[in-house]
Amino acid sequence: MKVEVLFPEVCNLYGDLMNVDYLEKSGAESVNTSLKERPKFIDGGIDLVFMGAMTEKSQEIVLKALAPYRDDIERAVNAGQAFLATGNAFEIFGKEIQNEDGTAIPCLGIFDTVAKRRMFNRYNAIYLGKFDGFYVVGFKSQFSHSYGGDNYGGIFRNERGDGRYPGFEEEGIRVNNFFGTYLLGPLLPLNPPFTKYLMKLCGVENPHLAFEEKAMEVYEKRVKEFKDPTVRVKY
Amino acid sequence: MGKARFYFALWMAKLSKPALKITGHQGTNFPGEVALKICPDFLAQIAKPKMIVGITGTNGKTTCTNMIIDILEASGKRVLSNREGANINSGIATALVNGTTAFNKAMYDTAVFEIDERSSKRILPYVQPDYMLITNLFRDSIQRNAHAEYIAQFISDNMPKKTKLILNADDLISAGVAPKNNRVYFGIEEMESDVKDCINKINDIQICPVCSGELVYDYRRYHHIGRAHCKDCGFHSPNYDYAASEVDFYNMTMLVSDKGGDMEYPIINDSIFNIYNMVSVIAVMRELGMEHSQIKKHMSNMKIIESRFSEKTEGDLTVILQMAKEKNPLANSRALDYISSIKGQKEIILMPNCLTDGDNWPENPTWIYESDYEFLNKEDITCVIVTGPYASDYELRLLLAGVSPEKIICEYDEFTSANIVPLIPGEIVCIISGMDHFPVAEKARDRIFERAREMGR
Repeated sequence: MKVEVLFPEVCNLYGDLMNVDYLEKSGAESVNTSLKERPKFIDGGIDLVFMGAMTEKSQEIVLKALAPYRDDIERAVNAGQAFLATGNAFEIFGKEIQNEDGTAIPCLGIFDTVAKRRMFNRYNAIYLGKFDGFYVVGFKSQFSHSYGGDNYGGIFRNERGDGRYPGFEEEGIRVNNFFGTYLLGPLLPLNPPFTKYLMKLCGVENPHLAFEEKAMEVYEKRVKEFKDPTVRVKY
Repeated sequence: MGKARFYFALWMAKLSKPALKITGHQGTNFPGEVALKICPDFLAQIAKPKMIVGITGTNGKTTCTNMIIDILEASGKRVLSNREGANINSGIATALVNGTTAFNKAMYDTAVFEIDERSSKRILPYVQPDYMLITNLFRDSIQRNAHAEYIAQFISDNMPKKTKLILNADDLISAGVAPKNNRVYFGIEEMESDVKDCINKINDIQICPVCSGELVYDYRRYHHIGRAHCKDCGFHSPNYDYAASEVDFYNMTMLVSDKGGDMEYPIINDSIFNIYNMVSVIAVMRELGMEHSQIKKHMSNMKIIESRFSEKTEGDLTVILQMAKEKNPLANSRALDYISSIKGQKEIILMPNCLTDGDNWPENPTWIYESDYEFLNKEDITCVIVTGPYASDYELRLLLAGVSPEKIICEYDEFTSANIVPLIPGEIVCIISGMDHFPVAEKARDRIFERAREMGR
C-alpha cells in the first residue's frame, strides 16, 4: 500500500500526520508531495492520498497549489482513487469557503459543498458514528461546517454528535473512495476497524495493524465511554 | 450614568474583598468579576498606572512576568501586578481595583500584567500596554487556541497602536505580530547544539511567511525556533536588537549584547526555553532604561519558580518534578526533551491527564500525537509509568514512539505510580505532570522518598 501525503509542510495540524505514521508502522509505504510538486496520484501508482488539517491561510495556499490539477483530481475521484482528507482539508474540494465578512474563497468545486467559517465560535465536540457495522470514534475542533452537497452521503452515520453540519445525520463526505471527514488528529490509531477497512480498500488483503491489541483496547474503551449518555458531546 | 455605574462597580469590587475574607471564601478574581459584571467597560474607565508592561505568549509568560516584577521591585519600584490572580480580564480588573483609590486615582506608577493571549481582545484595547513582550507563539489547546497563526492574528487585531513590541526574532510566528507597531527583537545566536532540520512533530513554519517559498533554516533550536531565510524572495528572520551569545552551560553564563554594549549574565536554568525567558526579560528591562549591571545584579539571585521545575535529593535518590501544561503539545515536547537529556538512568512517571476535562467531557487526545514522546525512546530511560484515566492512550502513543513495551507500565491511579516505580539505586525519578495533577505529583514525590527511606536508602 502506497500513501501519498499531500503538502505535509502545511497540512499537519493536530497530529493528523500520525495517521500516516500508523499506516507506515502497519506496513504501508509513504511519499510526501510538497506545494511545488505535481501530485503523484495523477500519474497513478498511489493507493491512498492523504491530506491533513491546516490553518485558514494554508487552505488558500493549498488551493493555489491544487488549482492547476483540478480536472485531474476530479477524474481521479470519479475513477475511484482513494483519498482521506481530515479536519478542514476536505473543504478544499468543495465549492467555496465563506467568511463571516461576506467574502468567499472559491475552492476546487469538485463537490458542491460550501464551508461557512465562524472564527469566533470554535466548535469542539466528540463524535461516535457507525460505519460498515462497527463504531467510529473521533474528535472535532473546527471553525467551519460544510453545508449543501446533500446528494452525497457522509462517511459515518451519527450515533452521538453532529454530522457534516449540525442537523445532518452523517459525518463527512464520501464520493466513491473519497473520504473527507471533520474528525481530526489520530483518527486511524484510534479506530483500528476503520483503518483495516481503508487498508483493504487500498489492496492490502489481510492487514495487520501496529500494536493492534493495544489499539483495540484503547478503541473499545473509548467506544464505551462515548456511548455513555452521561458523557457530554460538545465541549 | 456611565460614571455612576463605574463608581458603583469600583466600590462594590472593593467591598467584595473584605466580604470574601469575612466569609472565608477564596476568589482571587472575584472583585474583578464583580466590577466587570456591573460595568462591562470597567477596564476602559479605571485609572491605570503611567507605565504598563504586558507579557503574553504561549509559553514562559508567567516565568517572565515574575522575573520582571522581581527585578523592578528589587530596584525599588512599587509594581502593580496580577501575579496572584488570573491573566484574563477579571484578573487584570482585580489588580487594577487593588491599585486604585476609591476615587479612581492610580496608586502605582508601574504595572506589569501577564495577559492570556486568547483574552487579548478583552484586555488590550482598554489597558493599552506601553511595552508588550510576546515570548513565543506555539500550538496550545486545540479547543481554545486552534493554532498559532490564529492566535497571532488575534493578538495583532487587538494590539494598540501605541504599544512597543518586544518580540522573539527566532520565532517567525510571534515576530510577525502587529507589523505596523514599533518593535525590537531578541534572540539567541547560533549555538553548538543547534540543528538545521526539524526533529519535532510540530514544525509550524516550513514555508516562507511572505511568498510561501522554500524556507531554509540557518540554525534551528527546536520546532520552528531558529533563524531562517527564504530561497525564493529573500525574506529572512529579523535581526536581533538584544542578542544572547557564547552560551556556556559549563560555567552557566551567556553574553547579552545590544547597542548599549555587552554584559555577561549568569544562566539561572540550563534549559534553552528558560534562556529565552531570561533574554526576553533583559530586553524588556533595557527598554525600560535599566543598565545591564543593575539587571545582572538582580538576576543573579533568581530561581525559576519551584512549581514549574524542582529537583530534590535525599540520600542517594533524586526526584525531579517537571510541570508541562496539559493539552499543550509544545510544552510537553520541551519537557520531554529536557528530561530525556538529563544524564544518567531515569525512571519516568507521566501524569499529563486533564482533570478538568475528565470531570465534564472526554479528554481530547490529539495533542499527545503532536507531542514528542519519541524523546522517551532512549536507552537510559529504563521505565515509563503512564497514569490517569487515559493511561492506555499514553501507552499506545509510547508504543508508536518506539518505546519498548517491557519498559511501559500502565497505572490508572496517579498516586499508585509512586508505589510501583522501581527505584533502582543510581536511577533518577522524573515526574512530568500537568498543572491539574501537580499536587498529586508532589504527594507522589513525598511517597517515593518515604519508600526510599523504608528501603534504607
